[in-house]
Amino acid sequence: MNVLILLAFMLCMAMVMIGGKKGAVSFLSLFANFLVLLFTVYMMNDPGNDPILWVIIACVLISCINLFFINGINTTTIAAFLSTVATMIVLLVFILFMTDLTMINGFGEEEIDELSLLSLYIGISFVELAAAVIIISTIGAITDISISISSPMREVHLHNPGLSRSELVHAGFAIGRDLLGTSTNTLFFAFFGSYLALLIWFKDLSYSLGDIINSKIFAAEMITILCAGIGIALVIPIASWITAYLLTRKT
Amino acid sequence: MKQLFKNTSTIRFSMYAVLLISFIGSLFFVNHNHAFYSQPIATITEAVVEDTEELSDMYGNEDVLSSQQLLGVIQNGEYKGRAIELDNEYSLSGANDHEYRTGQDLFVFIDGAGENDAALSGTIDNVKRDHYVLAITWVFIFVLLVIGRKQGFYSIVSLALNAAILSFALDIYIRTENAGLLMIAGISVLLFTVTSLLLVNGFNEKTYAAILSTVAGVFAALLLASFAIWTSGGNGLNYEEMQFLSRPYEVVFMAGLFIGSLGAVMDVGITMSASIFTLYEKNPDISIEAMKTSGIEIGKDIMGTMANILFFVYISGSIPMLLLYLSNGAAWPFAFSITLSLEIARALAGGLGIVLTIPIGIYTSIFFIKIKRAAQ
Repeated sequence: MNVLILLAFMLCMAMVMIGGKKGAVSFLSLFANFLVLLFTVYMMNDPGNDPILWVIIACVLISCINLFFINGINTTTIAAFLSTVATMIVLLVFILFMTDLTMINGFGEEEIDELSLLSLYIGISFVELAAAVIIISTIGAITDISISISSPMREVHLHNPGLSRSELVHAGFAIGRDLLGTSTNTLFFAFFGSYLALLIWFKDLSYSLGDIINSKIFAAEMITILCAGIGIALVIPIASWITAYLLTRKT
Repeated sequence: MKQLFKNTSTIRFSMYAVLLISFIGSLFFVNHNHAFYSQPIATITEAVVEDTEELSDMYGNEDVLSSQQLLGVIQNGEYKGRAIELDNEYSLSGANDHEYRTGQDLFVFIDGAGENDAALSGTIDNVKRDHYVLAITWVFIFVLLVIGRKQGFYSIVSLALNAAILSFALDIYIRTENAGLLMIAGISVLLFTVTSLLLVNGFNEKTYAAILSTVAGVFAALLLASFAIWTSGGNGLNYEEMQFLSRPYEVVFMAGLFIGSLGAVMDVGITMSASIFTLYEKNPDISIEAMKTSGIEIGKDIMGTMANILFFVYISGSIPMLLLYLSNGAAWPFAFSITLSLEIARALAGGLGIVLTIPIGIYTSIFFIKIKRAAQ
């Protein structure tokens, strides 16, 4: 029996038992997201395809799955979708600039031994891949916050139709700020968990602070965590503005 | 009242001042800290591409390899001010090499010192990245403070605090030979949960219920994951990517799983307890059944997105490695199992933690409400 299949089965059972039909949809969307990622990797594997273009396509598909498939198409999900895509593009420009500047592309020292038998000259830009990795790591959190802002904003608008656009934006900011703490925490711990082996390795080698900060892997980890945090904060104004604009547009 | 207002604005003003001073001070320091490094650092003054050649390998991958002649000036140590010549080779893809540009600082080894005025010769060791890491840290701090204000400030403090706890816990693990990593991770999980939730929500029953359900939730996830690994004999998990560790991989993997799912489980725990307590506060006579039903409804809405967040964080990091294996002629199932098995297991186990925390959170909150009712 394969561990992954067993765990997937357990997760599916738990989601259906607790969430019923919605739980089943959640599990299916998780699976669909996985397929989108594999498809993206398959497309990126052809050096003729631009990784940045494909990461944008992947993020659009993933947001469609997370927003439209789970919640249906309505003002809230359309606002959340537009906010997700806008945030992602702003963040992508920043990340591309940073990965190029800091040279965190490619593999770290801890991985190089394992790769000694492989050809590293595969014609795919690892600078762009590094940026793609950071964007994909935050896309789940970004869609989550956009929908969590736009959905209550619509409720606010429904109950107080007289609110002006700027008052709605203000409400959106307040909702977003309350989400900031828990959402950044969710991401930080997930990153801590997946970097645990590397952190232990650094401690084992008793690197000096200078060695650690300048090393490619640690810098890459830090930049990923910080860019994810920046992304989560950036969704708040973007989602508030877009939702407020869409809600007050018709009237 | 006026006095108080004046005081808070003074506090605010001094906080801005401290922030500004540390911003300017740290950026200045990190751009002029060459003397603190014992390894020589060279600033590149000239970079010339000497020749390029096209490459292709047996799998049909094509790349361009270029060699670069660099001229730099040593910034520290006994050769400070001397010129140095460096050679560099880089590929278009850049999986393990970089094209250097003028103005960059590089850590170098000095191989030979010639005559007094002749340029030194050396090899490149690493890029100096500390000033970039610091600059991004400041962008992060400012973006969070400007957008998130008070909540942004708490997020930064909580990140710093949790990173410190983790670093301290790992130090204990490294120093004490026999300390079990899982034990240490367990204690850290308690500390993380208590500090993060108290920081965000303060001392009240809502927070206590969230802490209890979070801890119960991650332990349940860990138990189920261990059960799954134990019944299947670890079949399907490939620890290849952790080979660089000289420590038992399985335990490190489990500890990572434990800590990694904590944030998401905490988020679910606080959402459940906050919403159930809100129901109770709005209508103190609400029946237990009604609270359960509403709790499940809220849980249904969040479990999918929360599981997705974990999934993307874990899987994304493996993409470059997966691509490398595929480009080297590896079959999908092999490349998949070698680069993704641990991440998928982590994501699935984290998802289990999230889903289980929903009923746990509901029952814990109801338990606290029952105590409250009995006390009245």
